[in-house]
Amino acid sequence: MNRNVPDPWRKGAAWLWAAAFVLIGASLFAIAFRAPVEAVMGPVQKIVYIHVPSAMVTLLAFGIAFAAGIAYLATKQWVWDAVGTAACEVGLVFATVVMITGPLWARSAWNTWWTWEPRLTTFFILWILYAAYQVIRASIRSGSRRTISAIMAVIFFVNLPIVWKSVEWWRGSLHPRSVTMTGEMRQVLLLSMMAWIVFFAAVLERRLRVEWAREASARQSASGDADARALDPGVRGASRA
Amino acid sequence: MTILAVTRKDLMLYVRDARFLATLGLFSAALVLILSVAFGPIFHDPAGEAAATIWAALFFAGVLGLSRSQDLESESGGSDALRLTGADPFALYLGKTLANFLLLFAVFLLLLPLTAVFFDVGSLAALPVLLCVVGLALVGYSAWGTLFAALARGLQARELLLSVLLFPSLVPLWIGATKLTHALWDGGTIEPVRDWIKVMAVMDVLGLALAGWLYESIQEAGE
Repeated sequence: MNRNVPDPWRKGAAWLWAAAFVLIGASLFAIAFRAPVEAVMGPVQKIVYIHVPSAMVTLLAFGIAFAAGIAYLATKQWVWDAVGTAACEVGLVFATVVMITGPLWARSAWNTWWTWEPRLTTFFILWILYAAYQVIRASIRSGSRRTISAIMAVIFFVNLPIVWKSVEWWRGSLHPRSVTMTGEMRQVLLLSMMAWIVFFAAVLERRLRVEWAREASARQSASGDADARALDPGVRGASRA
Repeated sequence: MTILAVTRKDLMLYVRDARFLATLGLFSAALVLILSVAFGPIFHDPAGEAAATIWAALFFAGVLGLSRSQDLESESGGSDALRLTGADPFALYLGKTLANFLLLFAVFLLLLPLTAVFFDVGSLAALPVLLCVVGLALVGYSAWGTLFAALARGLQARELLLSVLLFPSLVPLWIGATKLTHALWDGGTIEPVRDWIKVMAVMDVLGLALAGWLYESIQEAGE
C-alpha cells in the first residue's frame, strides 16, 4: 500500500508551497518597506499586517473544521475527520499567533499587555476550547474518537459568531467595529491576507498528508497485506485514530 | 412520558446515593464560606461579591453533579438499557436535562440562604424575579452540561475536561446570571441589565437545539 498521496495531489501541493513562499516573501517585503509608518504608534503598528490576517485565517480554519464535522457526521467518511482535525490543529497555531501579536500591539496602543475587553476575552475562550479539542481528541482511545471530534468542532463553532460580534454586543470594547484603511496600508494588508490564506492552505495540505499516511498505515496493519486496496477518501475509516 | 420517566429514574438514583448528595451540598456550602471569607470581612460591593460567589459555587457543584449523573448511568449499565428501549434519544436527553436542572435548583436553594446570611444581601420582594433569572440560567447550564457530560463520558479526568469545556462555552450565561443577580440584590430591579435576559435565552435555545441535533450521534459514539 502506498502511504504517499497521489501524484496530482503532490504536484498541486508543490505549486501551492511555491505560491505561499512567494506571497509570504512579497508580503514581508511590503510590510517592511512599502507600508507607511503610522504617525502615532510608529513601526509597532505594522503588527496589524500579521495580527489581522492570522485572526482571519483562524476563523477560516475553524469554519472548515465545522463544515468537515457536519460532513463527517452525515457520511462517516474518514477524509472529513482528517480535514476537521487538520483544520483545528492548524487553526490553533494561527490562533496562538493572534494571542502573541495581540498583546504586543496592546502594550503599545493601550499601554497594557492584557485587558479584559470583549474581543480579547472571547478570543481567549475560543483558544481554550480548541486547545481542549486537541487534549480530548488525544485522550480518546476508543473508536468514537472521530465522532466526538466532529461533534466538538460543530459545538465549538458556536463561539465564532460571539467573537465576531463581541465588539458590538458588549460596551467598552477597545477593538474597532471595523477597520478602514486606504492607500498603501490597505494594499499591504490585502497582500498579507492573501499570503496568509495561501500559506494556511499549504500547511493544511501538509497536515492532511500526515492523516493520509496514518490511515494508510492503519489499513495496512488491519489487513496485514502490503498490497491492500488503494486508499479511497470516500471509504469509512479503518483506523481508530 | 419518556422524559418524565427518565427524570424520575435519575432523581431516584441521586436520592439513593446519599453520600454523593451530602458531599455535593457540603462542597458547595464550603465554597460559599471560603469565598465570603476571601471577600470579607468588610465587603466593598456585597451584592456583586455575593452574586459572583453563588454562581461560582453553582458552577463547580454543577460540574460534580453532571459528571456523577453520567457515572451512575455507566456503572449500572443504564445507558445501554435506555437505548434498548428504543426511546427517542432527544426525549432521553430532555429527561436527563430536567433531572440535572432539578438537582442544580436544589443546590441553589441550599446556597441562597447561606449567601444571603454571609453577605447580608437579598430581599423577599426580589425573590420571584431572582427565581426566574436562576431558572433561565440553570436551564442553559443543564442543557449544555448534559450535552457535554455525555460527550465526556468515558474520558479520563472528565471532571477537569467538563470544567474546561463548560466554563468557556457558557461565559455569556455566567456573565448574564451574575449581572442580573447583582442588579437585583443591589437595586431590586434588573432594568439596567435586562438585555442579558435575551442573551441567556439565546444560549438556552442554542444548547437545546444543538442537543436535538447531536445527542443521537453522541450516544452512538458512546456505544
